[in-house]
Amino acid sequence: MLSRVNRLSVGTGTALAVASLLSAAAAAQPADPPLDVLMRATDDAMRGDSSESRITMRIKTERWQRELRLHVVSEGTETALVRIEAPAKERGTATLKVEQNIWNYLPKVDRTIKVPGSMMQAAWMGSHFTNDDLVHESRYSEDFECAYRERPADGSGHWLVRCIPLPDAPVVWGAIDARFRAQDMLLDQAEYFDERDRLVRTIRYEDFGPLGGRTLPRRMRVIPADDADEFTEIVYEEHAFNVDLPPGTFSLRSLRQ
Amino acid sequence: MKILRMAWRNLWRNGRRTLVTVGAMTLALWAMVLYTSLMQGMLGSMESTLLDVELGDFQIHADGYRERPSIWERIEDPDAVLEALDKTGLRSTARLLGGALVASGEASTGALLKGLRPDRDAQVSDVYQRLDRGEWLDPADASGVVLGYRLARTLGIDVGDELIALSQATDGSMANDLFRVRGVLQSLSEETDRATVFLVEDQFRSFFALEDGAHQVIVRSGEGQTLDAAGEMAQEAIAASAPEAEVKSWRDLLPGLANMFDSAQAAVQVVAFVVYVVIAIMILNAMLMAVFERIREFGVLKAIGVSPRRVLALILTEGALQAALAIAIGLVASLPTLWFVTTRGIDVGQLGGTAIMGVSMDRIWTGAVSPATIAGPVFILLFIVGLAILFPAFKAARISPIEAIHHQ
Repeated sequence: MLSRVNRLSVGTGTALAVASLLSAAAAAQPADPPLDVLMRATDDAMRGDSSESRITMRIKTERWQRELRLHVVSEGTETALVRIEAPAKERGTATLKVEQNIWNYLPKVDRTIKVPGSMMQAAWMGSHFTNDDLVHESRYSEDFECAYRERPADGSGHWLVRCIPLPDAPVVWGAIDARFRAQDMLLDQAEYFDERDRLVRTIRYEDFGPLGGRTLPRRMRVIPADDADEFTEIVYEEHAFNVDLPPGTFSLRSLRQ
Repeated sequence: MKILRMAWRNLWRNGRRTLVTVGAMTLALWAMVLYTSLMQGMLGSMESTLLDVELGDFQIHADGYRERPSIWERIEDPDAVLEALDKTGLRSTARLLGGALVASGEASTGALLKGLRPDRDAQVSDVYQRLDRGEWLDPADASGVVLGYRLARTLGIDVGDELIALSQATDGSMANDLFRVRGVLQSLSEETDRATVFLVEDQFRSFFALEDGAHQVIVRSGEGQTLDAAGEMAQEAIAASAPEAEVKSWRDLLPGLANMFDSAQAAVQVVAFVVYVVIAIMILNAMLMAVFERIREFGVLKAIGVSPRRVLALILTEGALQAALAIAIGLVASLPTLWFVTTRGIDVGQLGGTAIMGVSMDRIWTGAVSPATIAGPVFILLFIVGLAILFPAFKAARISPIEAIHHQ
């Protein structure tokens, strides 16, 4: 889940550089911003050698809603450890992601479960994220072929980019429509389509501001297309890039702590 | 009486021919009895696996559950439904169904948890008798579960081992618990073998934080009641307590399988017909030979004034005596065979567990014995022998002595 946050969020010094570069280019002649630079900046926005954050996750479904407090540490994009800190009933429940594998630790029974391939499309901790979202490390700049779809006429509004996965990319989507704010070229919405081009879900990025020394969306909301009343919202309470993590942070043993 | 004595004497004037004819009939009868028994046994065991263990005759679900199974689509007041069904005399039980991730060690897979009350469920489903090893559920052992044999193999667990289940409770929280394997089932059906875990109702409710309702009510028809009549009865009974629920017979639930059973019955009959035709030709041949070899002898009988009717009676009596002998020997020969296929059965387990459209055949294929198993083949044999003997008998009875004497 965190990696998805990483992957989709946008901001950072690189992005700012892109923005200034873009505005310089725009002054010279009204050309499209270079897409490869933009998408790479988008991919790298949340990326650091390592990161540590505290997140509040709100899930609202037709039948219930709840709020989780999560502690997340990650290293690169391959490795992450998410631990539930609240509510008390689920405190200590943790998910470890290493490459394509996911393990859940259940403190109530003091056991670790490896999530099988058949359960990858199941919800992660009851949210609108799937287990698959955790492991698939796709990058716009590497796994997709992107093209501008709509451009703002007067420099305000939004840029719309449609990204189609490359034939051999490990992506479950048929297409993603990424929307960038014209003012700073930050991603503020991504719409996910299935292979028949039906909208599956929308992710909105909101509350842009300083986070871990970068400008990033501090709130992110997933809305499934088949039920507009449901959502999962993630709010970053704290976030730090390039933190020192003790060795063995991403091990099955540390999962159980 | 004289004819009977004559017929008997005639039979042993060419003992070898008689023995061959009787032998053919005996073999035919024995094969038919065995075939009937095995087919009845197979269809019977598949049907009982399907209905007595898995499906019941009817299932009641909340409207919409079958299209989109979800822990939320419940029959609100299953107790009222069961009570209403009790009044009609139909046996019924309620089950709770919920998907979960089950795991042991590094192995894990998706499975359907089925919560039930063992005492009530036993009146409706024989699943409790179909354990391969271990024991069936016991409310006193709340964390004990029973699972399909392939699921147990996938997870690498056996009786006494622990099983972790993980799912989402109805309050949104993470449902997780530790269970202990009490028993492992025999091969029943694809679904049960591979992905079903039985547990007691209370445990299911606490696992999923589900206080009320049930997802499925299984109903059996009354004795001698047609499926349609029982269905109407059940529908009427639950009209007050669960007006929204849908009642579906097993034929509606699994139309493909219902068709297969019907066509399997037909196929059994077609094969039986073919077997009988072959046997009929064999017997006809023996009978024709027996009569035509002796045409001159019948000509002599006619010449010394025996009436055509008596000749006919003589030949028919000979046939009847042979058939009687064949039936006597055939039935005696069938007894040990029937005893073997009903008590020991044929082990088809080496074939790797045979399933037909998802319904498993028992690992031991046993025959069934009913009056029809024996009466059917006997009557058919008599019919064939009668048919086979009439043509040559009439021919012999009506032949003129001159013609017969010149017969080669």
